[in-house]
Amino acid sequence: MAEQAGRIPEGVDTGRPSAARLYDYLLGGGHNFAADRALAERFLRAQPNARTIARLNRAFLRRAVLFMVDNGIRQFLDLGSGIPTVGNVHEIARRADPRARVVYVDFEEVAVAHSRLILEDDPQAEIVQEDMTRPEEVLAATRETGLLDFSEPVGVLAVGVFHFVPPEADPRAVVAAYRDAVPGGSHLAFSQFTGDLQPAEMAGIVEVMKKSQNPMFPRTRAEIEGLFAGFDLVEPGVVPLPLWRPEGQNTDDPDRAGIYAAVGRKI
Amino acid sequence: MTPPELATRWMHALTSTAYIPLSHAEIQQELRDALAQLPSSPESVANRLVSLHATGPDSLRVTIEVLAPTFELPILARLSSAYAHAMRLDAFDQQEQIKVAIVRAKQRVERTLKVSQARFREVFDSAALGIVITDLSGRCVEANDALARIVGLSRGADLHDRDLRELYHPDDSERLDAAYRRVGAGLVNGFRDQRKLVRADGEPVWVHLVVSVLRDADGEPAHHVTMVEDMSELHLLQRSLDHQLLHDSLTGLSNRQHFVTQVERRLDGTPITLYHLGLDAFSVVNNGLGHDTGDKLLKIVANRLGELAERKRAVLARIGGDEFALMTTSDTVTSTVEEIQQALGEATFVDDHGIALSASIGVVDRPPSFATAAELMRCANTALRQAKARGKRQWALHDPHDDARRRGRYALAASMPGAWEHGELKIVYAPIHLLETREVLGAVARLHWDDLSHNDTMALADSTGLSLPIGRWLLREACAQAARWVEEFGAKAPSLHIALGALQSRDEDLVADVKRALDESGLPPERLRIALDVSSVLAGDDNAVVLHDNGIVTALDGFRGGHDELAVLAEVPVRTVITRAPAPGRETPLHQAMRGLITTVHGFGVRFAADEVHTCAEADDWHAAGADGVIGLLPALTAAEVTELLATAASPPPAAS
Ligand SMILES: C[S@@+](CC[C@H](N)C(=O)[O-])C[C@H]1O[C@@H](n2cnc3c(N)ncnc32)[C@H](O)[C@@H]1O
Repeated sequence: MAEQAGRIPEGVDTGRPSAARLYDYLLGGGHNFAADRALAERFLRAQPNARTIARLNRAFLRRAVLFMVDNGIRQFLDLGSGIPTVGNVHEIARRADPRARVVYVDFEEVAVAHSRLILEDDPQAEIVQEDMTRPEEVLAATRETGLLDFSEPVGVLAVGVFHFVPPEADPRAVVAAYRDAVPGGSHLAFSQFTGDLQPAEMAGIVEVMKKSQNPMFPRTRAEIEGLFAGFDLVEPGVVPLPLWRPEGQNTDDPDRAGIYAAVGRKI
Repeated sequence: MTPPELATRWMHALTSTAYIPLSHAEIQQELRDALAQLPSSPESVANRLVSLHATGPDSLRVTIEVLAPTFELPILARLSSAYAHAMRLDAFDQQEQIKVAIVRAKQRVERTLKVSQARFREVFDSAALGIVITDLSGRCVEANDALARIVGLSRGADLHDRDLRELYHPDDSERLDAAYRRVGAGLVNGFRDQRKLVRADGEPVWVHLVVSVLRDADGEPAHHVTMVEDMSELHLLQRSLDHQLLHDSLTGLSNRQHFVTQVERRLDGTPITLYHLGLDAFSVVNNGLGHDTGDKLLKIVANRLGELAERKRAVLARIGGDEFALMTTSDTVTSTVEEIQQALGEATFVDDHGIALSASIGVVDRPPSFATAAELMRCANTALRQAKARGKRQWALHDPHDDARRRGRYALAASMPGAWEHGELKIVYAPIHLLETREVLGAVARLHWDDLSHNDTMALADSTGLSLPIGRWLLREACAQAARWVEEFGAKAPSLHIALGALQSRDEDLVADVKRALDESGLPPERLRIALDVSSVLAGDDNAVVLHDNGIVTALDGFRGGHDELAVLAEVPVRTVITRAPAPGRETPLHQAMRGLITTVHGFGVRFAADEVHTCAEADDWHAAGADGVIGLLPALTAAEVTELLATAASPPPAAS
């Protein structure tokens, strides 16, 4: 207990860039610091299409949430939710049904602080600060919010986050733990970077992020499909971002989209 | 263009520059409204765009591009400057928001801290452990009642402002003081210790201390927290237990375990010598005169050796039934051996039997400091067996050169850094043959030193920590050489294969090193193959994947065909696996097994090669088993020899004859 009393508040280290703030910057947000922007510039050198990829990823998140709403989902668990830039899950879902409830999960200080601020007066959405690779803790904290009913289908979102999950964290077991915690009919929306599309650029990104707080681990299509054990992948399966149920005619080049997206339905 | 058309075009342009979280229909409606507003109030349109989040770096440019044909320049100019202004405000807002968020986050942390302080208070007051908080000079800021009771006072407040050091036993005060200072200086986070404190009545009391540091808001050490557990009774018990655990109950000498820890402690460069003694023909005494006599004899031996050990300031232990061990420092082996024999040879009367003893002795003299205590015990034991084999009263010095593995570690490891500095390590190139056609596929760059093979050199380098610098050097040099061959001989130049040691295969800078070697040499990446040690991939390292992603073909070296390795093949993109297994002679079960394995490997789309294949017969066996390539069929050549060969031959070197 002496140790606990001795622990000082960690504060936010604005000198260390984070993936959450990097993503915010790529999306044109202002919730970032000089170090994040410097990292973003290097990221952009490795993958010049990064801004578009960020935009496509966020757009996929929106389509996936609306798809789930269409399939009767009214409650969401958003893993690695990031800095609430624009088009947050609760906003998207509530445009369709005002009763939608959301628990956000992130482990990054600024993302959490900022989400807390935005959700302060919102009784139907909350953020918990947890490491999403530790499902038991995430689920316990989620239950504590009392917002989600685990006897009803849940929309689990793991969008733009699994490329931060190292193989040692056993991604399959992580997904399986969330799958097992929700009832049949629940959905999983998933997106993550892959080397399948642009291997050289991907390698560049990995290199840029290697020494950061959030090193990255691209996965192949087969690996991603493997994560969906116990789910039925809904059409069109695991595809580059813009090809996942595009709204109207798609004008973005899927070969330069960097990220695979997919949605599955728990069997 | 009609306004709806213009709005549609504008939408398509905008949505490719920024993420707007609305459906296309919604965005289109917004933009149609904006178009209507534009002539009268470009400023509100600008605000509207920003609040829609049409704020990508190119959003304004595409807006102007789309609108320019339809709207007048002054309107667009107003739109632009209002947009820039709104963007600035928006950015300020966001920065402000983030500041507020962070301040709130800090406040939360402080609140939880308060709660945890309250909890701490509770624990502090009610704990059975003594707890005291002191400032860095040792003054007690707070102590609880439990601590007061341990030192014979009634209340924690009695200790207030007193110097904690007054409570230390004088025997311990210097060491404790130093330990506290190390914590206070932030060198360590805390320490645990068993020490004596002095009670108010002057009696010492054994305590278990756990000391940690409390830091201030800037993270600087500010206070010590000391937790104190009274161990007086426990302590006594523990001491006797420890003694039993570490000592031999018959002779009272240290036991093997205790001896080994003491050896470990001296493995810091101290010139130690180990003697492993086995009493000659002790079983004759034991069986002929009975166990009691045997036990008495052992006690006498222990006494005599004990005197000798004392004289020599040596450590002595009984490490087996009739075996003893002695560790001396800065010693002359021959004279100590003589003294031991003298001490034992003096006739001894036990139960009226006069017995003269002798011992066989195995000696390990001044081992290198990187040897482990367990290894030394093994060496001493080996030497003892050798001595016994020569007859009674013999001794044998452990000769590191007897044992190839140890020779590798002791002698060579010591000379490797020098050899490396003096350029004695050479790179040679071994041809890889394609079994199907017997063509030379490429050259494997290998280290050559003394008469050691590449793999032995690598393993040795791994054990000395030299493998990374040596591996990098190999990478750079070989790439440069291969690039020269490409330049000179074009398509006829061999492709370059490099097999890395286990450490380098796992090195997180490997990919960068490989890329640098390629960049600096100008060697085209497709002419390079990197063979990683299979252990790195099994350990989950992703260098193979990253190399592959960088367009570099990889192989796995040291493949044994285990299930774990096969599983990896399904996940990791490698071109070839390389085994060092013996050639599977035809019509042996091994042949069948190897065939099966190779078929499985091929099933993963991976090729199979064998290393250290030196004869055509072996190559044929491999071919029959389905392997694709072999290494070692021709002797490895120096770079100059390869160059010469390439220059004289119209084609690559022919297959072995
Ligand atoms: C690129 S953002 C994605 C945000 C959002 N899901 C989206 O797709 O628009 C990734 C977020 O995941 C968070 N993250 C990464 N690893 C995490 C982990 N192990 N646990 C919780 N959050 C994590 C990062 O802090 C970051 O905010």
